[in-house]
Amino acid sequence: MKRTLTIAAHELRLIFMDRGTLINLFLISVVMTIVVGFATGALSTGGGSPVVRVDVLDQDESALSAQFLDYLREANASLVLCPMDNDAGDICNLDDEPLDTQQARRRLENQTTLGLLIIPEGFSEDLFNGEDASVIFRASADASAPTFIQQAVETAVQRINGAFIAARTSDDIAPSGVGTDALSAAVYERAQETWSQEPVQINLVQTNTDEDEGPSFTQAGFGQSVPGMGSMYVMFVIFPVIGTLIRERENWTLQRLVVSPASKAEIMGGKVLARFVLGMIQYTVVFVVGLIIGVNYGSSPLALALVMASFVLCITALALALATFMKTEAQADGVALLLTLTLAPLGGAWWPLEIVPEFMRQVGHISPLAWAMDGYTDLIFFNGGVMDVLPEVAVLMGAALVFFVIGAIRFRYD
Amino acid sequence: MPVLQADSLVKVYARNGEQLRAVDGISFHVDEGEIFSLLGPNGAGKSTTIGMISGLIAPTEGTATIGGHSITAEPVHAKELMGVVPQEIALYPNLTARQNLAFFGRMYGMGGAGLDKRIDEVLEFIDLVDRQNDRIDTFSGGMKRRVNIGVGLLHKPKLVYMDEPTVGVDPQSRRRILDTVLRLRDEYKMAVLYTTHLMEESQEISDRVGIIDNGRLIAVGTVEALIQQVGEEDRLVIQVDGDEVPSSLVEMIKQREDVSDLRIEHREVEGSLTKGTQLIVLVRGGRRALPALLQLVDDAGVTVSSVEVREPDLEAVFLHLTGKALRD
Repeated sequence: MKRTLTIAAHELRLIFMDRGTLINLFLISVVMTIVVGFATGALSTGGGSPVVRVDVLDQDESALSAQFLDYLREANASLVLCPMDNDAGDICNLDDEPLDTQQARRRLENQTTLGLLIIPEGFSEDLFNGEDASVIFRASADASAPTFIQQAVETAVQRINGAFIAARTSDDIAPSGVGTDALSAAVYERAQETWSQEPVQINLVQTNTDEDEGPSFTQAGFGQSVPGMGSMYVMFVIFPVIGTLIRERENWTLQRLVVSPASKAEIMGGKVLARFVLGMIQYTVVFVVGLIIGVNYGSSPLALALVMASFVLCITALALALATFMKTEAQADGVALLLTLTLAPLGGAWWPLEIVPEFMRQVGHISPLAWAMDGYTDLIFFNGGVMDVLPEVAVLMGAALVFFVIGAIRFRYD
Repeated sequence: MPVLQADSLVKVYARNGEQLRAVDGISFHVDEGEIFSLLGPNGAGKSTTIGMISGLIAPTEGTATIGGHSITAEPVHAKELMGVVPQEIALYPNLTARQNLAFFGRMYGMGGAGLDKRIDEVLEFIDLVDRQNDRIDTFSGGMKRRVNIGVGLLHKPKLVYMDEPTVGVDPQSRRRILDTVLRLRDEYKMAVLYTTHLMEESQEISDRVGIIDNGRLIAVGTVEALIQQVGEEDRLVIQVDGDEVPSSLVEMIKQREDVSDLRIEHREVEGSLTKGTQLIVLVRGGRRALPALLQLVDDAGVTVSSVEVREPDLEAVFLHLTGKALRD
């Protein structure tokens, strides 16, 4: 272990002697994070508060339908329900015309709105009669927003359902002779009240922002660019190990280590540890800058550390495995650059994967960075915890294990 | 007990579907405080042998023990007893001499004041105290070689492997390195396994020599004992112009009673674009026989450009054993 630490410290010393590495680590990564943060912030919020228009045809026009719409607004504060939320500036783009089914469909097709919600007549009556009721949701062809809207609708539906299930249950279990209507109404009221005190778990509203606002410019932009650029620069600082190992073999310093009493595991452990530490330093630099800017990483530092560590390990292991296929330093440097500049955008480092077509979103998950970004999204935008990021961490650690095994089997020291 | 015992070492490489036996059953030992040279041309298998006995290359067959510890079964104990000075300058060029020594010293479990003191001793031994804080990439080739040697000596090994340590250095540095090797034996009682393709080096510093060719150890012994194998014959190297030697001349030389062998080698003449031919004659009493042999060459109408009489040496032994010159 002592030799492993000595090798790791020695590696880090050599790395930090290179001014290029320092510039990458502390300057370029930070500048890129800020630039991309502003770009994606503007992309996500249009430079101000987010506007996601959803047309609503409330054919029921009941107190219950109005309450349902309130739940919807609570579920995602970025939603602008038209025409109800229209303002003096015509945020709904209605031009003072009434909204009917035809017009709502046209607006959906030309993407003036991103969704259409129809609450049919009889919605509340059906529910109070203990019958099934439906709301109709149509999504725009745009790939990004409907997911958010649909989740908000589902959250609102769940709240209404929950209260009615409670009321129906009280009907079923109340002793005969008891005024069941009065009881179920009371239970319904109480369920509503309880729910409002303990909000549902499926919640698309960013928990770090004011409840009356959607994701802030900072959160929307830097919440994407900080983990994205941080992850990309982790790759930038780790992949050069491929060339370093080849150079060490050519210079015979690697062989000199092998003929010392240090075991091969200690040697490789030291090199892996050095790159792991370097990757974590890179992440820390970018994430601290994000923190200063105002990005909220959610409420689970442990989950954040798990995603960071598993991604850094995965990239380190990938680099070691790749080193066994490279013959020259130039080849290694080329592959390192190519991989970084391919896997980073593919995995969502430059822009959120939500804005790319579904096919590309799936292809993007070839990149370990996509899994890391999924984990960061869980934490930054949905206030997830350790359990929420476990699938992503498991995928990254699994990939790391496979890469380590390939590297260990194929690596040549002579 | 020998400090190094190598038994039937074999290394087979598979290349392009063919099996290449780089080392083919080599056995030898190195005693404590002894300088043992492995002498052979480039590609003979010297570095592969060193690689196997230093734990860098896994032998296909055979074993090697250092101080009684198997390099494959007990590598840590075996490696603690040996120091390796590779042919390459195995140093970190952007670190200073002292930083290089310190890092590799720690790899041998050294540290603290003990390591600092030992680094001072080594720097003094390799005569680089005044340059200890300069980066390696500012050093001359000879200075780098000396640091390369210093790293191998840091932990006071019982046995030092030196793989062609004089390659690419100027004559002055070469002299200094050879003196260093002799001091390791004489002052520090270290055993040295020294590989070289230079007969003069091997002959000068070695207590015993192993001659290696095509992956096989073809002779082992003291310099004197090996030279005995070729008897008292001298080598006359007669350089003649042109690349043709009349067969009648060849026959006449071979028929002489004092001549045991004649080889003809064609090679480029130094400093000239023309090719020349060397008649290499193994002859008893070379200086006495020289006038008569030159007369035969002259009578055959062949022009002599230079003549050299070489007394029996390891070059002659190699020629005698393999039928080819060591430099081939």
